[in-house]
Parts: sequence; structure tokens; C-alpha cells
Amino acid sequence: MSTTAHKHEHHVASAFQLWLIGGALVVLTILTVVVSSLPIPAPLDIITALSIALVKAFLVAAFFMGLYWDVKFNSMLLIGALVFFILMVTVTLLDTMYRNDIVPSF
Amino acid sequence: MANHSASQPAHVQHHFVDSDQQFDSAKLGMWVFLVNEILFFGGLFCAYIIFRVWYPDLFSQAALELNKVWGGINTIVLIGSSLTVAMAIRSAQRNEIKGLRINLMITILLACVFLVIKYFEYEHKLHLGIAPGSFWNPTPEVLAVLDHPKANIFFSIYYVMTGIHGLHVIVGIGLMIWLYIRAGKGHFNSEYYTPVEITGLYWHLVDLIWIFLFPLLYLIE
Repeated sequence: MSTTAHKHEHHVASAFQLWLIGGALVVLTILTVVVSSLPIPAPLDIITALSIALVKAFLVAAFFMGLYWDVKFNSMLLIGALVFFILMVTVTLLDTMYRNDIVPSF
Repeated sequence: MANHSASQPAHVQHHFVDSDQQFDSAKLGMWVFLVNEILFFGGLFCAYIIFRVWYPDLFSQAALELNKVWGGINTIVLIGSSLTVAMAIRSAQRNEIKGLRINLMITILLACVFLVIKYFEYEHKLHLGIAPGSFWNPTPEVLAVLDHPKANIFFSIYYVMTGIHGLHVIVGIGLMIWLYIRAGKGHFNSEYYTPVEITGLYWHLVDLIWIFLFPLLYLIE
């Protein structure tokens, strides 16, 4: 960040834009409920549900949270958090998935 | 350097160069907090993933005890509240303090609707003995559908994840009331609305967490 005076205008989202995103989120919510009652085989059903959730998450983060117009550093923080979350899950699963017996009492 | 503060608006604290730098710093601070929140909930999602890998049958059976319709309505309620928070920020940016207060009030009401629905969901389950961990004491009707030795574990995960999410909603309501009162005192305008902006970020994250909780808990077939 430079110390020279910088006057940047904060992005003001249009009301239409915000309602459009809200509408899209409602449609995707209804879609995910409808899709969940279809007879989709085991790995695909969770992939579909999570894909829809990720699209919804992207819409919220990009437009409601304004990352699309924001400084890139904040997006990097969010992506960094997700990378470390995936790392945590992966390393834990590498342990728990390859045990001969599930830990007693768990 | 020393006299720059004299030419700045009253809301700019002396250790910031200007209003923009103060705004960006506050936002950066909130994002760092949200990273912490994501990893905090991440630990819980990690527990969810491990137990789902271990007991896939348990998750598809236990989800039948959760009501898709109420879960779906609550999802739409939270999305609506995210929209009104975004509209509140837009109002503040446009110096429309009345619009800001109206949008904050609708957000508070929607958050309360979410909690009331959640309360009835919990109440219904506890009435049937569907309780977490060692409190698991289901009625014969529940056992007829859900006879799994680890059923209490699913509901431990359910209650902890939705409970902590619910606590975040309660904290959010408190913050919105604080913003509503401050907006009424004329603290915010198009030049200074930082608390509205960063509370909005927090509220959207609460919405984001629910966007994942809903399909992962309610929509398992």
C-alpha cells in the first residue's frame, strides 16, 4: 500500500445486481433440494450437492462480500483458508482411511 | 507528515494516513478473522467428513430425521438476510440512512425467524429423544427408522455444528442491533460506514457456513 494519497471510490453494487444474486441463490437452493430427491448413485449425489453449494458460496463471496471489486489480497486470504482446510482434511483422511480397524469407541 | 491528521475527517484515527487506508485496514482485519472462523468450522467439517467416510449408512439413515422443508426455508431466510445486509451497505454508501436502518431491521427480523425455526426443529428432536452423545434416548418410532449403534454420533455432529452456527446468528443479531442504534445516532454516512461493511462480511460468512451445512446434514439420501 503506497503512502501517497490515493482516492478510490468504493464500489456501489446496483440494487438489480444484488437482487439478481439473491434470486440465483434461492433458485440454486430449490435446485439442490429437488436434485437430492432424484435417484442419483452414491458418489455422484454428494458431488452434485457440493458443486451447487460451491457455486452458491462463490456468488456470496464474489458479489455479496464484494471480493469481485475488492483488493486481491482479501481473495487470497479466503483462498488460503480453503487451501489449509483441504490440507487438514487430506492429512487426517490419510490416517483415518487406512487404519485396519476404526479407533475403538469412535 | 505530522500535520496530515488536521486535514482528515473526524472519523480517521491519527495512526492512519487517510480514510481509505483506515477502511482497507479494517476490512483486512475482518478477513483475517473470517479465515480463523473458516478454519474453526473447518475442524468440525473435518470431523463430519471422517465419520461419514467411516459410517456412510449412518448418515443416509440419520438424515431422514431432519426436515428438508424447514431446512430449506431456513436456507432461503438466511439468503434473504444476506441480501438485506448487502442492501444496507448499499444504502450507507449512498448516504440513505433511513434505508440503512430499514434493511438492518429486516435483517434482524429474518435472523430471528431463522432462530425460531431452529428452536422448533431442536424441540421436536429432543421430544423424540434424539439428543447428542450419551443423552441419546430415542423413542421406539425413531428406532424403527434409525437403528444404528453410532446414531448418537451423527446427532453430536448435528447439534454441535448447527448450535455453534446458531450462536453466530445470535452474535450477528447483537451486532445488527448495535449498528441500528448507531445509525440512528447519525454515526454513519457515505464517507464512514466501516462497521456496517465489516459486520456485513461476518454475516455473509454465517450464511456461507449454512450453505454447506444444509446439503451436508439435511439432503443426504
